[in-house]
Amino acid sequence: MQPEVPDRDYMFPGHVGCPGCGAAIAMRFLLKALGEKTVMVIPACCWSIIAGAYPQSALKIPVLHTAFETGGAVASGVRAALDMKGDTETTVVTWAGDGGTFDIGFQALSGAVERNEDFLYVCYDNEAYMNTGIQRSSSTPYGAWTTTTPGRDWKKMRKKNIVEALVAHRIPYAATASIAFPEDLFRKVAKAKAIKGARFIHIFASCPTGWRIPSEISVKIARMAVQTNIFPLYEVEDGLRYTINFFPKGYLVKEYFRLQGRFKHLTEKDLDQIQSMVEEDWKLLLRKAGLS
Amino acid sequence: MSAQHKMKDSIPLFVPHSFRTTESNKTGSWRFLRPRYDEKTAPCSAACPAGEDIGRIEMLTARGLFKEAWETILKENPLPAACGRVCLRPCEKECNRREFDEGIGIRTMERFLADTAARYELKPSLERLSSQNRKMAVVGAGPAGLAAAYFLTRLGYGCDVFESAPEPGGVLRYGIPAYRLPVGVLRAEIEQICGTGFNLYCQKPVTKAFLEEIQSEYDAVFLGCGRSRGVALHIAGEEAGGVEDGLQFLQKVNRGEAPSFFNAQVAVIGGGNTAVDAARTVLRLGGRPLLVYRRRREDMPAFEEEISMALEEGVQLLELWSPLRIEGKGGQYLLTLQQMKTVDTSPGERARVEPVNPQTTQELRVLHVIKAVGLEAAEEWQNPPVAQEGVLLLTNSVIVRGSPVLAYGGDLASRIKSVSHAVASGKEAAIALDILFHKGPDHVLPGLETCRVGNGSSLSMEVYMRGPRCARNRHVVTFSEINTDHFQFAPKVAQPRLLREERVSSFAEIDLRISAGLAMKEAERCFNCGLCNQCDNCRLYCPDLAVVRDNGSGGRSIDYDYCKGCGICVVECPRNAMSLEKEAPPQSRRDRREEKL
Repeated sequence: MQPEVPDRDYMFPGHVGCPGCGAAIAMRFLLKALGEKTVMVIPACCWSIIAGAYPQSALKIPVLHTAFETGGAVASGVRAALDMKGDTETTVVTWAGDGGTFDIGFQALSGAVERNEDFLYVCYDNEAYMNTGIQRSSSTPYGAWTTTTPGRDWKKMRKKNIVEALVAHRIPYAATASIAFPEDLFRKVAKAKAIKGARFIHIFASCPTGWRIPSEISVKIARMAVQTNIFPLYEVEDGLRYTINFFPKGYLVKEYFRLQGRFKHLTEKDLDQIQSMVEEDWKLLLRKAGLS
Repeated sequence: MSAQHKMKDSIPLFVPHSFRTTESNKTGSWRFLRPRYDEKTAPCSAACPAGEDIGRIEMLTARGLFKEAWETILKENPLPAACGRVCLRPCEKECNRREFDEGIGIRTMERFLADTAARYELKPSLERLSSQNRKMAVVGAGPAGLAAAYFLTRLGYGCDVFESAPEPGGVLRYGIPAYRLPVGVLRAEIEQICGTGFNLYCQKPVTKAFLEEIQSEYDAVFLGCGRSRGVALHIAGEEAGGVEDGLQFLQKVNRGEAPSFFNAQVAVIGGGNTAVDAARTVLRLGGRPLLVYRRRREDMPAFEEEISMALEEGVQLLELWSPLRIEGKGGQYLLTLQQMKTVDTSPGERARVEPVNPQTTQELRVLHVIKAVGLEAAEEWQNPPVAQEGVLLLTNSVIVRGSPVLAYGGDLASRIKSVSHAVASGKEAAIALDILFHKGPDHVLPGLETCRVGNGSSLSMEVYMRGPRCARNRHVVTFSEINTDHFQFAPKVAQPRLLREERVSSFAEIDLRISAGLAMKEAERCFNCGLCNQCDNCRLYCPDLAVVRDNGSGGRSIDYDYCKGCGICVVECPRNAMSLEKEAPPQSRRDRREEKL
């Protein structure tokens, strides 16, 4: 029953994340799995704030706060500097939100992984620019309300499939993970740490503030996203070998949508449409994994 | 090396370095909801007449702590080996896991623990209060009497138990056939209980005169004589020689005076456990038993499992036939039966029946007739008095104030006649007497109320003796309060049994032991509703690192300096051992000033 959990934490209490912050849980899990020999690059995102204002830091590892669009580039530089010092042991991690990954930081990320820089890029995805006031990003899912897609103008575009975009770069390792599946997350981070080259992990991190959910169901909602196939857990090695890690038991997406204020405007018809979109994506994934 | 140094010197960089942690931010002040550890009551334990702490028993078993699990049973029930075999299992009917996949085999686990303890001759270490200057007499060493003596002794009283039969055990020893409860198991268990320190006097039939004689020696007398006289059928020919009473028949067989039936047809009249036991005993002695019952099979008070096993073994069942008269004819009996029909079949209740009109009868020729249609007290004085001044009618016992105080327990006073209810009555009487002697009659009912388990009628001795179980919330956990995301489907342990052919040819115990591995696997399936089993989910998922390990009761506590009150720990607790409540409003400055003054 009890998962194998690395006991040490590399984070301090007193960080300024909102109550129930999924990104804080994601960071805790990531650092538990990576250990202290880690340098972290954080482009502008929620975590720029959560980590604390100068002169405070909520993390027990070195962190480099940097500009929004530079996550991939700065990590490449830090890696090169460490290599010059002869330190090949330390893992360089970029920790970016969905804005800094899907939108603003995409060119730097794409460039870095194209060069197959030896670093781990982790995107904690809370599906909008939460820290600046819930503006839509290309990660915001179809159907969601945000402050820039208000009222009837809710987002009518699909969420960008970032893992597939990275897989298209044929990087050694790309995976999805969720804060509600810690064992799976620990395993994937440990696996990524051991691989040389560009690695990408997409962590689904709920946001009670932006999603308009009660903070106590923060982890539950992340679990439901996996159970409903909205966020499937899978990993891709060398851009070719797909492994699906969780096979859901047929929960309906509407159970997930009903609990969230950001989807409360959706009609039964919209939900049916979303259900078929999710099924379509799942079928595509099964095909890629050679399971259909 | 030197090149790098040069680079550092030539490019002056100002990089601000953080030098403080965020620990100075006491984010606990943001909180308006407050999580806390709040252990609640499992539905099984509230349904258990003896109030056993089943969730904890399974938790300890899952960890392989068999002795501790067994001792946890013994805190509430001195007879786990017997109850683990013959209890009617009200607990399993309430198991929350039934709504998930299948309920837990609680009785199988209880039996496993008792057998394991017996196998390794474990000695329990149980709390006992210092001895009191009062003496108690217990009449009848059946389950109720033994339980009363056991609990009174643990409460510090001196106890003498009087039993009329040559061996203790009452209905367990003489009424229940060995294929359900082997004599050796019972003897070992009773020997273990006697180690608590009460005196047992067998072959001491207690008469009314004897009772008066010992009055001055004892402060209270517990009457747990049970019911040993068969209820009459009130039909012609019932008094004819050779028409046997079901319980007496079973007693005879259990004493070792087994008759042999040589393929003879035997009619057993009745539908309770005694009737089914008698029929199955007849079968094992070579007879061909026929159960005659006036209602339908589903109305039979006997346990469903026992009925189906009896039918499987070859007992025949005649439903909706009621005996009219019995005639003895040349060593045989002619049994006249009339057909019945149901008139009122409200669900959940036994159907009412009446004879079909016009009267339809059939005649049966049998070699023996055994009647088992109910039991009553052997003598009138054994029945408890009705409600009046000085009489306390409790759930499973009746207390009559006087000198000495009389306590009626067991089948004499319980509404439901079962072994576990007998244990419950012994416990209830022991607690009631203790309160009566220490605090007086007015405190008995409120005192009993404080040691109830959940919302049911069962009592906890551990709570009465102010053990750790006192801290439990009385709220009974429902299935919807369990976070089933943290459980996986797993099949229930199948109770291994003798084959039908092996069963019918001997009195060997039908249910077989399960292995320790199986028992631990089964115990792991338990939700441990409302109890912390230290799964650590609260600590794992806390975004604020506000759940810390310490030496507290649950092994962890919440650091309210940093807890923002998000409530994830409460939702992710798989078993509802935590609660989220509104934070008390912060003290105003004025309040604080007043407090200082």
